[in-house]
Amino acid sequence: MNLNELWTLLPLLILACGALVVLLLGAVEPGRHTTWTGVVCCCGAALWAVQTPPLVSVSFGMSDTPLVRSFILFFCLLAAAVLIVSLEYNEQRGIHGEEYPATILFVTFGMVAMAGATNLLVLFLGLETMTFGFYILVAIDLKRGTASEAGLKYLLLGAVSTGFLAFGLALLYFTSGTLESAALLKQCSGEPLAVLGWGFVLIGIAFKLSLVPAHFWTPDIYQGAPAPVVAFLSGGSKCATILFAVTLLSTIGNYSALRTPLLALALLSMILGNLAALLQKSIRRMLAYSSIAQMGYVALALLAGGAGGFKAALFYAFTYALMSLTAFGAIAVFERSGITDQLEDYRGGGCKEPFAAAVLALSMFALAGIPPTAGFTGKFMIFAAALRSGETAAAVIGILTAAASAYYYLRVVVNLYMLKPEKAGRIEISLAEKLVLSTAAILLVIFGLFPMLLDL
Amino acid sequence: MNDSLLLTTLLFFPLIGGLLLIPFLGRPVLARQIALAVGTVELLLASFCWLSATAPPPAGAPAGFFLFSSRDWIPDFGVRLILGMDGISLLLVILTALVTLVAMLVSWRSITKRVALHYLLLLVMETGIIGVFLSLDLFLFYLFWEVMLIPMFFLIGIWGHGRNIYSAVKFFLFTLAGSLLMLLAIIGIYLLHGDQTGCYSFALNELVKTTLPYSTSLWLYSAFLLAFAVKFPLLPLHTWLPDAHTDAPTAGSVILAGLLLKTGAYGLIRFGYPLFPEAARACGPLLMTLAVVGILYASWVAYAQTDMKRLIAYSSIAHMGFVALGIAVWRPVALSGALLQMVNHGLTTTALFALVGMLDERAHSREIAVFGGLWGKIPRFSFFLLFFAMASAGMPGLNNFVGEFLILAGSFRITPLSACLAFLGIILPLVYTVRFLQEVLFQTERQPLLLADINWREGGFLGLLALADIYLGLHPEPLLAMVRLPVALLIGVVP
Repeated sequence: MNLNELWTLLPLLILACGALVVLLLGAVEPGRHTTWTGVVCCCGAALWAVQTPPLVSVSFGMSDTPLVRSFILFFCLLAAAVLIVSLEYNEQRGIHGEEYPATILFVTFGMVAMAGATNLLVLFLGLETMTFGFYILVAIDLKRGTASEAGLKYLLLGAVSTGFLAFGLALLYFTSGTLESAALLKQCSGEPLAVLGWGFVLIGIAFKLSLVPAHFWTPDIYQGAPAPVVAFLSGGSKCATILFAVTLLSTIGNYSALRTPLLALALLSMILGNLAALLQKSIRRMLAYSSIAQMGYVALALLAGGAGGFKAALFYAFTYALMSLTAFGAIAVFERSGITDQLEDYRGGGCKEPFAAAVLALSMFALAGIPPTAGFTGKFMIFAAALRSGETAAAVIGILTAAASAYYYLRVVVNLYMLKPEKAGRIEISLAEKLVLSTAAILLVIFGLFPMLLDL
Repeated sequence: MNDSLLLTTLLFFPLIGGLLLIPFLGRPVLARQIALAVGTVELLLASFCWLSATAPPPAGAPAGFFLFSSRDWIPDFGVRLILGMDGISLLLVILTALVTLVAMLVSWRSITKRVALHYLLLLVMETGIIGVFLSLDLFLFYLFWEVMLIPMFFLIGIWGHGRNIYSAVKFFLFTLAGSLLMLLAIIGIYLLHGDQTGCYSFALNELVKTTLPYSTSLWLYSAFLLAFAVKFPLLPLHTWLPDAHTDAPTAGSVILAGLLLKTGAYGLIRFGYPLFPEAARACGPLLMTLAVVGILYASWVAYAQTDMKRLIAYSSIAHMGFVALGIAVWRPVALSGALLQMVNHGLTTTALFALVGMLDERAHSREIAVFGGLWGKIPRFSFFLLFFAMASAGMPGLNNFVGEFLILAGSFRITPLSACLAFLGIILPLVYTVRFLQEVLFQTERQPLLLADINWREGGFLGLLALADIYLGLHPEPLLAMVRLPVALLIGVVP
């Protein structure tokens, strides 16, 4: 192992060692500073990504291209933001202990490993590290039955999907004899066993992205898990999975055999996700179905891959992560005042808590794809790619479902600003929370107006 | 002043002014005064552009544009920040600044909660509408087209009355559904143009060069037409309008009727016809039919209304039907008439909604059946109501008459039948207007109401609007001269 290779692995080392340090620190002196240590570790790993020049060297199945760099930076900052948002939320919910920040660091470790992986085994390990961390995080709120239920559901269904993914990768290995993704993917595009392997991998991806019909876990997890964890799960894990899918699909080049299943996944997710979201009374379940629909748009972008679809999918991955962070960050703030996740509890939120309400409303407009937010620009890129690759019918269906989806996003805004509150109650927002949420909200608008700043 | 600077300032000044109000969210009086100052400066700035109209066209500008600016924005997609002003844009921008100013004055006393937010939204909307009238890049146009919706949604939803939330959501969804398909069509023509020329661009003067197969252009044009027809509104798509107008606060109704309806007509003139000339001509008869049916139906329905705002809302649909007819004929005289009618309708309806708003503010009712004998009680108010109602009904000598006359004169040669039927549309408004005036102004008092006559603030802007009405009714030539060149260039006849 030479120095260059050590450089490549440095963010992983920072995150892994950071997690261990946090665990040790918690054993000696528990308290809020464990979380802040986690934030520092994340920022340190992020700094690495900005600081050092990119290296082309590949070792341990890890690469270090500029694209990987920007994703590493993003995952680390997202983790830091989630940790900061969790501080007050966890205190109020009674989630104490150093295992929370440590697990977040381990999950980030998994995401970073996934982002850089060039070897399918490393990729799989990264994905599993991430998912394993989420099994814990989803159920970390031990006092709530819903959280335990969500955790169990996620664990059982997640294990099944891992099985599919592992079997798919094994089939691909069987047909090609290598695990190096670039070599493997070029070799085996036509063989029946390889196609079967691809099918299994696609099922695994569909589960992680919660595409219909692999979406059943989503509403319960979104409803039961702590709000910052949902922000991380919805933003980070989906972002990493999209990167995974883009890396795989862009190396095979011609994946016409996957067109029909991908199209079906995209259409079903867009239509059913949006329709189901229309019926929800809980804001968290509504956002869960909305995430299913949003991932349907990403699947459409993956389908249109070569025609700019990959770029659109990656842009949307970033954007969706920001939207999840702002939406669930604001929900975390609101829930501190003791309200439930029912939409009617958000009545008059604009008067009670103007800052969080503004952030939530902005993320709703972004999710609905209204300019000048990044949600609009991302949808624009996706539909442009879909039309360019000739998927006109899918694009028209997609845009009609997007129009319908505006209704349920607007309902949140209506509740926040246009209905009278039933009970008053102010929430204290810490400066750090304000800083994180307003940065994310401003970035949503900036990336909407200047998408070229996200150089993908 | 440099073109680019002037246009950018004109466009973003209200937005910046609006954002400056954020620190004053808790101080209503100050926020109101700042907003009024910003609105006034914007009107002066817009009027200042009139002086540039005679200046030689700047380098690189498409023919007819006397102010033009083009900058890089998103190079990856070929999106440029292209702004341009010709005679048509100039008239509509001045109208926007004027109507927004009136909307601010109208809500001076009637808005009592979240005052600063109200003015902030008005200013943001002003930027959105001016952006629609100035953009010459389709991406930019679409951006502003959608951005206008958000402030209006909040205006209706927060300060409206009655079933305001239902109306706000209905308004938003109708317009969004229409315009999302337009977005697909915009992407479609962008890709087709890029594939043909190798240069991917959203600039209007590039995209007009695209050669499209007839069937494709028909599809793309229908998506554009749908978006514009919702805004217009043309007949089967009009149902959002009466609800939105009725439930909006006065300022909201004023801006909806005075400005937002014009954006549909403007989009059709600026983008619909030039981009898809063949398809647009083929759809001409359809547009004419919808326009004429809309005129007659809306006038008929207006007669049955008991709520004054609803009555004016339906009369707006009828008036916009005339504009649609003038555009559908696509001949210089009729198109000039349509443009003039857009300005006229903007001025008159603004005044009418403002008047009804004042009455509502004083008596807390807009039912025709509540009022009676107002002439004896509040004569100045009654004078203005009579004046603007007659102007709206097309009284010769006042502004609406000129526009309607030009549209009918221009369309008679092309479609005598439509013109004859639309002529009925000049008579029908007299029926419902006279009935409305007679009940409200002249009958005996039906309920004892203590009403204050209009004050200086209200009289000031009403007087200004009335003078504009008379001036445009007697001497519309300066406006017609302003649009002559752009109209000739659009239609393709040498002036």
